[in-house]
Amino acid sequence: MKESPLISELIEALRCLPSVGPKSAQRMAYHLLERDRSGARRLASVLVESADRVGHCGSCRTLTEAELCGICASSRRDRSTLCVVEMPTDVSAIEHSNVYSGLYFVLMGHLSPLDGIGPEQIGLDQLTARLAEGEISEVVLATNSTVEGEATAHYIAELCRRHGVKASRIARGVPMGGELEFVDGGTLSHAMASRRPFQ
Amino acid sequence: MRNTTRQQLQSAYILHQRPYRDTSVLLEVFSQDHGRLGVVAKGVRRRRNPRQALLQPFTPLLLSWSGRGELMTLLDVESQASGYLLQGSVLMSGFYLNELLLRLLQRQDPHSRLFLHYDRTLTWLADMSDQARRAELPVALRIFEKYLLEEIGYGLMLDCDAEGEVLNADRLYRYQVGVGLVPLPDNGRAGVEVLHGAHLRALARDQLDEASARGVKRLLRAAIDQHLGGKPLQSRKMLLEMQRGVAPP
Repeated sequence: MKESPLISELIEALRCLPSVGPKSAQRMAYHLLERDRSGARRLASVLVESADRVGHCGSCRTLTEAELCGICASSRRDRSTLCVVEMPTDVSAIEHSNVYSGLYFVLMGHLSPLDGIGPEQIGLDQLTARLAEGEISEVVLATNSTVEGEATAHYIAELCRRHGVKASRIARGVPMGGELEFVDGGTLSHAMASRRPFQ
Repeated sequence: MRNTTRQQLQSAYILHQRPYRDTSVLLEVFSQDHGRLGVVAKGVRRRRNPRQALLQPFTPLLLSWSGRGELMTLLDVESQASGYLLQGSVLMSGFYLNELLLRLLQRQDPHSRLFLHYDRTLTWLADMSDQARRAELPVALRIFEKYLLEEIGYGLMLDCDAEGEVLNADRLYRYQVGVGLVPLPDNGRAGVEVLHGAHLRALARDQLDEASARGVKRLLRAAIDQHLGGKPLQSRKMLLEMQRGVAPP
């Protein structure tokens, strides 16, 4: 049976979500229409509102509907440390670990010369301005552990050096609960190369 | 219909990768015996997929794939040795090599000799993490460019000039597309277009030093640009941007 035009349009629209193919989109559409009309209305209104109002934080570039995001606006954060990450999801990951109390800077990507993504596209002019203000004394480079992430970290470390700001890179190595046998060679060689005295 | 091919544990490097669908990546692979290939690695962007750590540029890999036509499917990956640790401007030069291969090689054209040369160049670049050897970077790049041009069938004629005379180290030359090296009259003025015989001979014998590498840079760049179809190289642009640094507002 072919769906009516409006329902097919709904199914088609749901397919813009990641991991949603035609089958799941159909299931979602029928669920919303048959069992959860109020949920559907709420979803629709929140979607419209977010799409209209969410922008980037003026200070760290993460997604927020306010001028400054919660972390940047908070008075309880350590304003002298800045952690540079690639995506807003990285901010949540670090926040969940509860070990960091400084501020963030979200690049929304990484340097990727072969895709034409350069320093300006990931907001490094804005980061340079932050460094020049002189409030930051340490930058923690928490970009991904990929070749592009390394290139990005290196570039930012160079910017920090020019502004006399200390730059540090998050460590990488064997994961918690990880058995050496199952750790890939690349990770293991980095773990070995950056070993440190036992305390 | 073309038959499905299946290749086991082929020496290869990854030149570039980009996300594909939700959990897969599309790899641009440079393999020793099968040239440049597009290979889809399914499901590697899932949490804790150990393949993801291996599928990085500048790492000698053994890849197995199957498929027909343009896009292959990755079956297996093993590392051959640990990856080359390239840093800073050397890493950017690594991206430059990869971009050259992506832009200038046709898919599924085997270039085994060039593969070996690429491998050697990466070893050389990795040695330059030592600041003292950083000066060799342009030398390594120029020699790679020369071999790349030879491999794709547009090698420079460096043995003799346009009239078939052996190059004279003390003379000045000008390179003319389709003709070759034209000797300049002795009173020819030195300028950017002018090539020194000594530099050209050093390039022909892979014996460049810093000065001669600078001397032949424009020649090689012009020869490469001819085959880029007017689209500039992104990595070259970015390297310049990086050297300038991000301008303060």
